This record gives sequence, structure tokens and C-alpha cells, in this order.
Amino acid sequence: MDDRDVLEELIAEELAAGMTRADVLKRGAAAGAGIYGLSALLGAGTAFAGSEARALTPTFYQWIYGLYPDIPSKINKAYAKRHKLDAKIAPVQGFGIDRFVAEAKKKKSTWDVYVGMTPFVEMGALIESGTIEPWDNYIPKSVLNDLIPSIRAEATYKGHIWSYPFLLDIIIQAWNGELVKKAGLDPNKAPKTWDEFIANAKKVVSSKAAPYGAVFDAHGWRSLAPIAHTFNTNVYTAEGLFDFTSDAAVNALEVMKRMMEVAPKNILEEGKVDGGVNTTPDEEAFAGRQAAYYVKYQNAPTRFAGTWPDPKVLHIAGLPKAGKGGGTVFWNTGAALFKYGQNKRLAANYMEFLTRDVRIWQHALGKNVRGASGQLSPYKSDWAKWEKSPPSWMADWAFTVHKELATSKAIRTHKFGLTQFVIGKPAWEAYLKGDEKSAKAALAKAKALVAAEVKKSRKG
Amino acid sequence: MATRVETEPIAATRRRPRPHRRRVPWGSIVKHGILLFCCVVILFPLFWVFLLSIKSLPDAYTNDIWPNHFDFGSYRTALTAIDTLPQNIENSIVLTLATMAITTTVAVLAGYALVHLPTPGKRIVLAILVGSLFVPSRVTGLISIWEIQDRLGLINSTWGLILPYQTLALAVSIFIMRGVFETIPKELPESARVDGASSFMILRRIMLPLVRNGVIVVLITNFIAAWGEWLLANTLTNDQEKRTLTVVMASANAGFGQWLWPTMAAMYVVAILPGLIAFVVVQRWYMRGLQEGALKG
Amino acid sequence: MASRAVAARPPSGFHTFWRSTTRFARTWPYLIPALVFFVGWQLWPIVRALWISFTNFSFLLDDSPESAKFIGLRNYVDALHDPLVRTGLWHAAIFTAIFLPGMVFLPMVTAVLVDRVRNQKLATTYRLILLIPAMIPGPLIFILWVWMYSNGIGPINYVLVDVLHVFTLQNQPTWLGSTNTTFLSLALMEWWWGLGFHTMFYLAGLSTIPKELYESARVDGASEWRIFWRITFARLRPILLVLVVLRFGTAYALIDEYILTGGFDRSKPTYTWTVYMWDTAFQVGDQNRGYAASIGWIGTIGMLAVVLWLFYAFRNKD
Repeated sequence: MDDRDVLEELIAEELAAGMTRADVLKRGAAAGAGIYGLSALLGAGTAFAGSEARALTPTFYQWIYGLYPDIPSKINKAYAKRHKLDAKIAPVQGFGIDRFVAEAKKKKSTWDVYVGMTPFVEMGALIESGTIEPWDNYIPKSVLNDLIPSIRAEATYKGHIWSYPFLLDIIIQAWNGELVKKAGLDPNKAPKTWDEFIANAKKVVSSKAAPYGAVFDAHGWRSLAPIAHTFNTNVYTAEGLFDFTSDAAVNALEVMKRMMEVAPKNILEEGKVDGGVNTTPDEEAFAGRQAAYYVKYQNAPTRFAGTWPDPKVLHIAGLPKAGKGGGTVFWNTGAALFKYGQNKRLAANYMEFLTRDVRIWQHALGKNVRGASGQLSPYKSDWAKWEKSPPSWMADWAFTVHKELATSKAIRTHKFGLTQFVIGKPAWEAYLKGDEKSAKAALAKAKALVAAEVKKSRKG
Repeated sequence: MATRVETEPIAATRRRPRPHRRRVPWGSIVKHGILLFCCVVILFPLFWVFLLSIKSLPDAYTNDIWPNHFDFGSYRTALTAIDTLPQNIENSIVLTLATMAITTTVAVLAGYALVHLPTPGKRIVLAILVGSLFVPSRVTGLISIWEIQDRLGLINSTWGLILPYQTLALAVSIFIMRGVFETIPKELPESARVDGASSFMILRRIMLPLVRNGVIVVLITNFIAAWGEWLLANTLTNDQEKRTLTVVMASANAGFGQWLWPTMAAMYVVAILPGLIAFVVVQRWYMRGLQEGALKG
Repeated sequence: MASRAVAARPPSGFHTFWRSTTRFARTWPYLIPALVFFVGWQLWPIVRALWISFTNFSFLLDDSPESAKFIGLRNYVDALHDPLVRTGLWHAAIFTAIFLPGMVFLPMVTAVLVDRVRNQKLATTYRLILLIPAMIPGPLIFILWVWMYSNGIGPINYVLVDVLHVFTLQNQPTWLGSTNTTFLSLALMEWWWGLGFHTMFYLAGLSTIPKELYESARVDGASEWRIFWRITFARLRPILLVLVVLRFGTAYALIDEYILTGGFDRSKPTYTWTVYMWDTAFQVGDQNRGYAASIGWIGTIGMLAVVLWLFYAFRNKD
């Protein structure tokens, strides 16, 4: 987008905000025209009584700032030189969205764009409550065509694109090469099946190389669903919920039960922050070099290896494939456009500026970054370029993880996309804890719990 | 809340006097032993957090209490990692001070009216206040508190929190003040009234100096309530720069990015220090206030 | 209120009317500031929540409770059949039963001991140290204890496993994870937090007991134990009652602790009625706040019932 486009856009924005064209031109002339002058003009607009024009106001889910300190310290500052920017942090703990919804009811929004929405988590509720609008009219065609198809499909709901894709996570397996070697296993060889995975993990424990063989995150969308996907990715009911009683889900739960034998005792416990969803026990064990194998999204092992004396012993591979049509789970955390926000075209412009900034990916996938934040670019062109000539800064595992996208599938977007795994958890955990003997019965109970909760909701 | 206690006549407990013997002061040893144990139990977690804050990264992720390598760098990271930190500390201080000032003033006025003025309906007011202690209004009423704040346009407003914060310890504050005012003989204001002083003059000139220590107790009670409040602040504000230190600390992402254990621990130490320092400064009056009958209500 | 009080009086002339009116005008201004806050942000919200509990107000679907449908007692019927509500109420009761005795008696013992320390400097030091936790904001206390109980970095299990070898890594206790230990662990945390603060209450009570009482009892040859029960305990009983009632109120409606230590894990005992209410109102599905309000009110009614019973029990003994 060149400066002239932006200029026209800004004028359009100002007009929409109630200034007359004469006003715009007068102020523009006074400010000396040019793009910087217009930025100043935009600033002047905010002081205008009755005018709603304001700086572009994105709000970030806190962890994105945490993982990418370059965003506040460098990238936003660079963007602020082009346009007035007022970035905020929205600590939407436990994915709480009610304040966004409340504002939408009053037909207003303090923010223009929310960076931190994951389709299966909160997109359904944000759409249903009329809080966000599609990006269709604002997202440049060039961006749309450059998105990796499965990511584009994930961001699409009922024919519209609701999420501006940003950070890609894929559930993979990782292991601590040092511990694996100590157990007499080949650290360069990934377990190909779940049997092999568990046999290796057991060997780690029996050889006393580490106290625990393997860890996973007990939250269903990070373990049950991805492991079920390795058996079959078609594990969704007609209404778009996870099919707890499918064979794949039953198989997955049995795999988890076997992993429990070599996992820390507290593995099913909640995390320490964010309403229990983060800083989970698996992270502690893997970071503390107490567990050898790990099942989670790639950014967990890449970050926690940063706490090891030698982060280079980290290995990553795709999850063991257990069946035909098997794969894994991916999700992309992107941006939502507030229906009653402003600066919509500018918001799309900002998102492209942000997602195309190579510093993000250098930090995420850097070979020499201690505790790399691990997430992948959603753009085809990036990967084409990197695969053609791998950049010197890039870690090898980035390609390994990216390759997994081909067979992976997103959890379906639904109002209960995330909460179904919270609601059903006590039931399937009864099997993991040994209180329930049959995996199938436990999962049937989970399904019933979810169904009961969905029934409470009037629109299903 | 009746305070009348009937102590049985001591004569009933009369027994043969025992000869006084010189012996090992077991009583004293047990007494100090238990108290020392309590002190150690209280201090240990805090000492441990401090140690964690100066551990090197690999040490922090293993269990060893005493680290192999010290690293004081976490404090620098902690102080600079959250851009909004100074703002959050300011929010907490402003909010707490405002709550302390307003609730205490309001409680003094109400306590005075309930004890020393012929206020009509004081029994009903008291009964409702007592009843409110047993209703978890902060929890049950949360949905509506949210709605009220939303209607007033005070969602996501730090100043707006002052309104619901008044009720955190309002009833208790009024009770404490009522108890303190009751220790003042009724004749005192009566004689002043005969001399023609208005009720407000009596409160300001005669009562206030007498209830000073009780006021300190109420101030500290409200300090504790507001400084540590989480549920309302977490539910009613959104932007990080609008939030209080407590909420930001409770939601800081341990383990994410720069949020590693030692940094978290360093943040923790930074976060609890203001409260502790403030307390050390005022503790003398607080203890005295407590002893001078502030709690006899 | 004014007119009601006036109307209640027999019509004995203009004089009485005038006197009571001026009495209102002279005294109520002192009460009104407190009542504004009390009614506005404490009384009205729960009354309003009661009204909402009779509607099917869902935050994501309805503009306001007024635009929702009035459904009578439907929410209450559903909630009383909801296993999560039942176990939630039951778990809150268990925690209260574990927490309350310790929170009331431990500080009493500590206060009696501190009160007997003759050396003034030492006594002040004890008091100061005991009070430190009270000056730390609640959520930070919870964070601290979550760390303490952690299997990964927690010093408690480090001592039990690596130093004392009472447990192995495989069978070490997961303090906040297993159903049996969760409430006791949380109660310990609460005792740690409240010990000093509550000790101060008792110390204040102890300071009002005349020393002569003890002396004459000793002269009469009463045993220390008897003196404790007949004088100290008897004198502290009013404070004890106040603490029982106050702490009961907070313990049964605990929520911050549960959310910050147990999250929204429905299999945990910490998922009590308060957390379920919050979860329903602000997170799950359409955010059915009508239903959430009914859960809140069921909890409230349960609490009031127990308090009334407590009062009844204590009145009998007096």
C-alpha cells in the first residue's frame, strides 16, 4: 500500500467522522500536506468536539506482548511514525470477552481491533453477539491469496473471513535429547507410533535418566483433541462439536492413560495463571528437565528449552501417526475487527504491517534465540521464500513444524469450541484417574455433560 | 452482638494452695517455642520467594532451595518488563487511599449517629447492616454491580471502582466505629450540647480526638480490603493500564516470554513491598487503637 | 422511610410531627452517605440479582435483563437439579468446616501466648512478624502458596521428597490437585494469612481483662488451666462469636481463592457454587446470567439458613 492510498483512506475516515471536506483540506494545507501532516490532522481530529476520529486502537491479548516484546518496543513505534497508534493490552483472562460484547450492545467500541482471537475459542461467541464484523471489505486481496489455505478456511465462518490470521500453533511432539540419550535411546529418532512413544518414555523412567517419561497438557484442546486427530481428523459432529464417543477419541484417551503411568502425578492439575490455562504442570516438568517427551503446541517446548543449560538438545517432530487420515491439531491466533470500532481500513493496514514484519518471525523461529516463541507465519510466500533458501537465523525445527500443517486440522469453530473441553473434562478424567474403568463410558459421560450445557443455551 | 460476659465467681475454683517450687521454666520454653515456630512458618515462604527472585534460570526451574548461582538481573527485568507497572502501582495507591478516606469518613459519621444522636430508625439500620454481613453481596450481586457500573459508563474506569469499593468493609467499619463511640460516656456530648454546641461541632471538637485510634483501625481495615481486592477490579476493568497492581500481578503470565520464575518472584517482591513499608510506618497506632477498645463492638 | 415512621405514630398533634421531622433532619444527614453506598452497591445489586434470577437473561443474546423473558422459578428448579450446584454447595460447606475452627482457635492460642510474653520488645516483634501476611494483597498470597505447593518448584515437596525422603517423585502429594488435600491446603494458606490479623483481635480482648482477676485467682490457688477457661476464654468468647460469624460469611462465599488456585476445572473441589456462578455469568455459552443469579441466590439462602442456625445455637447456650 503506497502513501497515496493511505492518504485517500484517511480523508475518507475523517469525512466519516463528521468533518467537512473543506475542513480536511484546510487543515491538511495548514499542516503542510504530505503524509506526516495528515497524521497530525488525524490527531487534531480527536480533539474535535463531537468527532469520533481517533488513533488506531488495537488491543492485544497479553501473552502476545509477552512473547513478542518487539511488538510494543519496535514494531508499533515504527507504525506510529506512519499513523497515530494507541495500542493497548486487553488481559482477557481465560478468554473472557464480555467487555467487548457489552460495548457492542451500546454500539460502541473503545478498541478497533483485538489481536488475540483464536477461531475455535471465542470467534463463535463474538460473531453471535454481533461484536465483530468480517474483514472481507478491508483485507487486501494480496493478503487473502497469500494465506495458507487451511488457515484461511479456519478464519472463515459462513462464507466470511472473521479473523486476520497471525500466529500459527501446531500440536507436535518434542523431547529433551540429553535425557533421551541418557536413557540409551537415539535422540535423533522420533517415535513413529504411540506404542513406540510410550515404550521410549518408559525406558527413560526405568533407566532413571529422568523421573518422568512424558508429559502432556491436560486441557482437552491441547491433548485429547490432537491425539484423537492422530487417529482420525474427522472427529466432529454435524453441529460442529468434538465427537467424544468417536473411536479416535476413545483411542486417544487410552493413549493418555498409558502416558499417565510415566507422567508426573500432578499432570491433570490446572495451571497457575490465566484461570488455570497457562503455566501448567507439564511446562514445569519439561522446563525443569524432569520429563523427556512432550506433547503440546510447538511454542511450549521451544520456550521452555530456553531455561535449560543447553537449549540445543531440544528435538521436535510431528505427533506419531496412528491411523489413515490421521494428523494433528492446529490453530491460528489472529485479529478480530470490532463492528463498532473505527479506522477499519487502517486496522487491516496495521495488521498487514504487523504480520509481515520479519522481526516477529526472527524472534519466533530464531536459531539463537533463547526460549524462542515458536509460532509460525500464516503466509505461503514466507514459506516459499524460506524453503527456497533457508535464512541463516532460522531454526531447523521451524520446517519440521510447518510440514505438520499439511495433515493437521483446526478444531471446529463453535460457541462451545473451547468450553466443551472444560465441561467434559471431569468425566474423561475419571478414566485417567482410575475412577471409571471404561474409556468409552467416560467419554460418553463427557458428551452428555456437554450436551446438557449446550441445551441450556437457547440457540443451541 | 452482646458483649456481656458472666464470669463465674473465682471462689468456686478455690483449691489447696501449692508450695512455690523452683523448676525448669517449661512453660516459657513451650511458649517461645511455639511463637518462634509461628514466626518461622510465616517468614519462610517470603524468604523463599526472595531467594527465587535472585536465582539463575536453571536453578529456578529445579527444586533446590539454595541456588548454585545468584542472578540479581531479574529485578531489572521485573521493573522494566511491564510498561504499565508504574501506572498500575499508582492506580492501586489512588484507589486504596480514596477508599480508605471515604469509607472511614462515612463510617465515623454513621457510627456517631448510631450512638450519640437520637437517630430515628437506628435499630432498623443496625439490623440491616448486621444482616448484610451474612449475605455474600460481592459475589451474588456481582452481575448487577457490573450492570450498574456499565450504566454509569464506569466499566474499565479505575476511578469508577471507588464506588463499589466503598462497600468492601463498610458494614464492618461502621461496627468498629460504633464500638469506639460507645466507649465514650454519653454525658460528654450531653454537657456540650447544653453549652449550645451543634452536633457537628461536638463530633469535630470532642469526639474525633477521642476516637483517633479507632479511626486508624478502620483505615487499616479498609486498606487491607481495598489493596488486596481482586474480584471486582478484575471483572470491572479491562485495559492493563486501568488495572490495579494486584490484578496485573495475578494475571502476569508466568512462563510466557520474559515471565520466567525469577522475574515473577522479583515482581512479587516489588509488589508486596509498598504495603509492608506502609504498615511498618503506622503499626504503632494500629496496635494501640486495637487495644483501646476498637473491637469491643 | 420518614413518612412511614411518622405515620406509625398516633396523631397526637402538630408538635410531635414537627419534632420527629426535625429529628430526622438533624440526624439522618450523618447516616445518608453511608446508606448511599450501602444501598447502591450492596443492597440494590443483590435485590436486582434476585429479579434477574427470575428471567432467562443471557448476556450474549439479550440487550438487557428487561428484554429477557420472565420465567418464574424455572432457573431455581433447574439449579436445584444441577449436580454442579449441589456439589458446589456441599464443597463450600466442607471447606468452611475445615477452615473455620482453625481460623478461630489458632489465633486465640497465639494471642494468649503473645500476651504472656513479658519482654515488651519481644512481644512487639512477635506481633509485627505475625501481622506481615495481613499486609500482602490476597491474590498475591494465593500466588505465593500455589508456588509453595507446586510439585515442580515448590519447597514443601522439595523438603518431603529430596531432603526427608518421606515421599518419592511418583507418590508425592499434589496438594492442590487431589480432592482430599485441596481444602486442607487452602485452609492452611488462609490460616497463614489470617493468623496475625485475628491474633490482634484477641489481643485487644485480652488487654481489657483486669490483671487483678488473674492475681486473685492465683492467690485462691486456681490451676492455670482453670484460670484459662474461667477467665480468659470466658472473656474472649464475645470476640470468638464475632469471628465465627464473620469468617463463616467469607468462607462459604469464597471465590478469589478458588479461581486463582483452581481455575475453572470442574472436576476440582474448588469449583464451588461461587465459581460456577461466575463461570456461567461471564464465560460459558451465552453467558446465562439469569441462571447464574439463581445459583448466587441459592448459595445466599443456604448461608442465611446456617447463620440463623448459628445464632439459634449460641442463644440456647447463653
